Amino acid sequence: MPATTTETVAAAPPLRSPWVTVLVAWLVPGAGHLLLGRRVRGAVIFATVLLCFAVGLLMRGPLFEVGGAGDVLSRLIEWGGHLGDMASGLLYFVAVWMGYAPPDRAGHTADYGSKLIVAAGLLNILAMVDAYEIATRQKD
Amino acid sequence: MSLNLNHFWMSILFALFSSVILGIVTKQTDRERIRYGAYCFGCFVVALFGIGWVMRLLHG
Repeated sequence: MPATTTETVAAAPPLRSPWVTVLVAWLVPGAGHLLLGRRVRGAVIFATVLLCFAVGLLMRGPLFEVGGAGDVLSRLIEWGGHLGDMASGLLYFVAVWMGYAPPDRAGHTADYGSKLIVAAGLLNILAMVDAYEIATRQKD
Repeated sequence: MSLNLNHFWMSILFALFSSVILGIVTKQTDRERIRYGAYCFGCFVVALFGIGWVMRLLHG
């Protein structure tokens, strides 16, 4: 009896090192898919995460910073937001390196911008998980 | 240069970006991805208007 598709997929060697793929996908959104030969998907992911991040910057959304004094919930939000910011990889580091640090002002525009920057990172995490699953042949 | 989007357009943009990524990472074929992305976008927009009306009715 021939092996089922799932068994065949599980037994096959990974396309590339999954962790290298995840690292590349984190640093440059969509690059993990590009590395695995999924060029169109990689390009769409790159454009989407870049646009989301750029709109957040254009709305002057402040980046989350950790280390502030506050209760547990405030620190949890700070850390979660900071990790979300950093999940955009080089986009985040380049923005910081170029001196992007708008003040945390009251107002809906900056608040929405801040959330869009975090959303870009979270969308990139979804893309990283997808790249990992492709690299390990769990999906195509 | 700066953008000053209101809540509605910010939500539409978020729905668009999220739907594209969800379509890409969830489905197997391009046709399924496009359909699922459009479905997610539609759900986001329906939820946006639905929650908006609920808040309006609750707050008057």
